Amino acid sequence: MTSVAPLTDFPDRLSPMVVKELRQGLRTRLFGGVMLVLHLLLILFTLMSGGAGNAAEVSGWFDGIITLVLCVILPLRGFSAVADELRARTLDMLVLTQLSAGRIVFGKWASIASQSLLIALSVLPYVVARYVFGGLDLFGEVTVLFYKWLGGVVLAALVIALSTQRQFWLRAVIIGLPLLMGGCGMASFFMLSRMSAGSGASLTTFSVFGMVAGGSVSVPVMLGLAVWLIFFCLGLAATRIAPAASLLAVVKRSVHLVVLLILLLLAWVTSMGAELTVVSSALLALVMLDVLTERVNEVPSVYAAFYRHGGAGRVALAFLAPGWATGFAYSLLLTALVAVQTWQQRGLEAAQLGLISAASMWMLAALLQILPTRHARDLLPPFIFLWLGLNLVVTLLTSMLMMPFAMKSVTAWFTCALPPLMPVGYASAQAADKTEFLQLGLWSALLWPVVLLVAAVVAWRGTRSVRQEAWRMTHAQEGGGAAT
Amino acid sequence: MSLSAHHAPEIDRNQPAVVVDDLHRSFGALKAVDGVSFSIDHGRVVGFVGANGAGKTTTMRIMATLDSPGSGQVRIGGHNVVHHPAKVRRLLGWMPDSFGTYEHMTVLEYMDFYARALGFKGADRLRRIQEAMDFTDLTPLADRMSHKMSKGQTQRLCLGRALLHDPQILIMDEPAAGLDPKARVELKNLIRILAQEGKTILISSHILSELGEMCDTLLFIDKGRIVHHGDAASMMRGTDTTGETLVNVQIAAEPAKLIEWALTAPLIKIEEETKRGARLRIQATDDATLAGVLRRMIQDGLPVVDYHREERKLEDAFIDMLGQIDQGKLKTSPPPLPVKNDE
Repeated sequence: MTSVAPLTDFPDRLSPMVVKELRQGLRTRLFGGVMLVLHLLLILFTLMSGGAGNAAEVSGWFDGIITLVLCVILPLRGFSAVADELRARTLDMLVLTQLSAGRIVFGKWASIASQSLLIALSVLPYVVARYVFGGLDLFGEVTVLFYKWLGGVVLAALVIALSTQRQFWLRAVIIGLPLLMGGCGMASFFMLSRMSAGSGASLTTFSVFGMVAGGSVSVPVMLGLAVWLIFFCLGLAATRIAPAASLLAVVKRSVHLVVLLILLLLAWVTSMGAELTVVSSALLALVMLDVLTERVNEVPSVYAAFYRHGGAGRVALAFLAPGWATGFAYSLLLTALVAVQTWQQRGLEAAQLGLISAASMWMLAALLQILPTRHARDLLPPFIFLWLGLNLVVTLLTSMLMMPFAMKSVTAWFTCALPPLMPVGYASAQAADKTEFLQLGLWSALLWPVVLLVAAVVAWRGTRSVRQEAWRMTHAQEGGGAAT
Repeated sequence: MSLSAHHAPEIDRNQPAVVVDDLHRSFGALKAVDGVSFSIDHGRVVGFVGANGAGKTTTMRIMATLDSPGSGQVRIGGHNVVHHPAKVRRLLGWMPDSFGTYEHMTVLEYMDFYARALGFKGADRLRRIQEAMDFTDLTPLADRMSHKMSKGQTQRLCLGRALLHDPQILIMDEPAAGLDPKARVELKNLIRILAQEGKTILISSHILSELGEMCDTLLFIDKGRIVHHGDAASMMRGTDTTGETLVNVQIAAEPAKLIEWALTAPLIKIEEETKRGARLRIQATDDATLAGVLRRMIQDGLPVVDYHREERKLEDAFIDMLGQIDQGKLKTSPPPLPVKNDE
């Protein structure tokens, strides 16, 4: 009998999933083709930039092509990452090994991140060459390259999260729209910044969150948030492929809570309070998207895991157990924390507006549970489509109805009826009406968490028999008897 | 193939290899599994028979820790699948009814990936891969791209993957589906060897005749319930449900002589007269009584040239049994469970 040759291409300590994905990924025509075309173009641009005169335009192209590869093409390699496993029904076989759902999606992401890093590193000689020929800021260039890589791997995590959707068209719409907008935005940003500044030096202090907040957020905070975003997206993906008995929600929600508490602490002790409040609100919105789209769990062992910890376990159950019903309780807790922070940092009005924004998310979740969408296998796509539809409605209403009110300098009280529209109405309201407008808006917005609460109670009661079974399982174990 | 120390979970040999106890699983209003109970002793090969949607795959997926029970419990090697899924997974090999392979990955890399995923390292990993590939005759195909293999080769690859950690219990969901006759024979031979090695095997299949050849026991499931269990031979003879045996007799004389004899013989009814004899229904199933009937025929001067038990196709037996259950002539008889353990 002939023997097989040992495979020594990757060391044992690497995650099996990373090894698999790298073996497959590095062999694809796409990777080789992209690498080849990129280097041909970079050689061309480097030679062109050596001739002076047109250095600024060439730099723009140089940045653009690298951004396209790192922030669009490579992240898109995750487009079918999980969907392919689902379609080929290979996921069951993976789950039966020692790989958890989290390790599976992490491996897929790490493979893309590694390939992206490989390409980013291969670009460095051209950066050095341009430094030698053109005298540009080497440190600034390398920093920008790092941020592009970082942006790309965050986008890759997002794409992998959405690749859990089986339908191609669904992924194309959900991934395509934000990626197109985000990718184009990033490419434009880098190119415009480059053209206006003439060199990369102006971008060395670039900070996405700092820009959003209208100020600068320190680099460690930004890096930390990038790591959290990757965790969030991969957690979103892992939830959708994890076995029904998985307690992944506990890990995710605990991490989100800790990150939010760190942000609150930083806002308290540093001078970046106002900026971090905006960051906290963005984090809250994303977490709500996750926890309000989890299916209510019907596996007794999941609840039994909480019951085993007595009173503390039962309290934790109300906030951390998988499913949107407990997710609603958890979102109330997080919203309260963010509202207090906003009140402290930016005043009562900002806190009230923050609550109204949270009510917009609860409204979507409530609609999701009222409409037939509640039967959907995965609540995430209908949630996103509802969100897109609502935005469309808000945009139409804003342009059609708000305009006459704004022109006549009259407060648009009707906007209080729809939480997403309320901030627009508030912005255009007469100064004398603003306080009253907010009060009315807040009471009106309160309707949605109440509706969702009723739906959550109904859903929770629906799991009663499952929880009773979990209770029996727990007590059978404690009593040493046979589990039922 | 023996498990290395860190991969070998304890297995309770005093308990059956598999115990499924009052298992329930619903998907919304649909009761996919409705109180299924059975047990399988170590080293037995059991066939799992049922129509599409009967609850086979759901039961098997729960056994393989891929789904969770609504209520009831499943123990594999003495370990509860809900409380100790990791231990159960180390004891189990799972072959799903359909699955894909990976593009841009050779057979050897495919096996290497799963061996890594199962936690094997270095020389141990290579040994495992070599043993599994030798057993399934995949070594000559080591450098072949895994997605470019035939259905039979892919099925062998899946079996090789399932055997990498030398599981004591194998669960195979429709392993022969879509295979050509040659590949089917190859697979059957591999399963026979595994059975000889003492593995406990649960196989579901639509090709019941194959199950009859391979399995010690057959479990029949319908509408989420185990409706019958028994060995394939008695199922095919129909003796397990009726307590009677159909015998085809041919004599080297006029059939009337046989009919005349049968009318006066105890325990015998004439089912049908045939061209050279008759089909007789004997109210017994044991070999001694059947041999006694033949002896009496010869003693009474009948020139018997052929005397054999009639066997129905397993498919016919299954359909016949379902019909009897529907008409209330046959009560469902789930196999008895052993004493529960204290997990």
